[in-house]
Amino acid sequence: MNSWAQAMTETDFAASASSSERRILVSLTGTADLTVKSQLDRFLREVHAQAQRCLAEVVTVDVRQLEFMNSSCLKCFVWWISTVQEQAGEAKYRIVFITSPSVYWQRRSLNALACLADDIITIQA
Amino acid sequence: MPEGETLSFGLQIQPHSRMVSIVRRFVEESFGKLVGDPQAVFRVSLAVHELLENAAKYAVGDKTGLTVHFESNGSAAKIKLTNQTTPEHIARLQASIEEIQSSKEPFALYQTLMRRTFGVPDESGLGLARIRAEGELDLSLEIDGTMVTITASCMRSKELSHE
Repeated sequence: MNSWAQAMTETDFAASASSSERRILVSLTGTADLTVKSQLDRFLREVHAQAQRCLAEVVTVDVRQLEFMNSSCLKCFVWWISTVQEQAGEAKYRIVFITSPSVYWQRRSLNALACLADDIITIQA
Repeated sequence: MPEGETLSFGLQIQPHSRMVSIVRRFVEESFGKLVGDPQAVFRVSLAVHELLENAAKYAVGDKTGLTVHFESNGSAAKIKLTNQTTPEHIARLQASIEEIQSSKEPFALYQTLMRRTFGVPDESGLGLARIRAEGELDLSLEIDGTMVTITASCMRSKELSHE
């Protein structure tokens, strides 16, 4: 299976993703706010497309260095999670968030996301 | 607000998206040094961020007024944001805040809105519900012509610092 990588960098936000076999690792750093909402939206759509191509089993999203995420960017994740949840069979994959207990938005916001689809989302501190 | 030392500031700023995170960081850093409860500081800074983004998206004119009052022990807070906006946005705000105020289960409403709004482009529809559900702050709205003031507050001493 070919490897794949994707990255984007804005003034105060960066996202990268790479895949190997049936696993994708995503890393988000900085601040996800209104200024990067459309870029994050496109980025997550590309991650999902790659997950479908490689029949990913799991996408790990490392948000430990993500200082803040606003509600518009959370909505990008709602779209992604809802889309994955609608998939069937091998097209459906798990999403694992790697979090930092010292970044306060993460527990509350990611728990809210996890409640949307607790069958596919895992939160690791 | 309960008796005790009150920390506060007021800003008059341009409602621009690039200002939002700058002001949130200012709130986090300044109150973080003065208030001994990082969770309480986070909840206030979350409200500041979401309210300012609301203004950045929907305010008319170039002035937005923000005031933040914080009990120094983290026990109570009040955030007020005032700006001019359109009649259409005022109607949306009224409906949104009424729905939030009437909900006895803020987290359940937040989840419902996540499902309801994820297919609606160009509008989050989640910011105010997030302030209520994640920030655990009460919301109210005052309207004076085309001027609106949204207040997010917690007056009960146990609530703001409650984990």
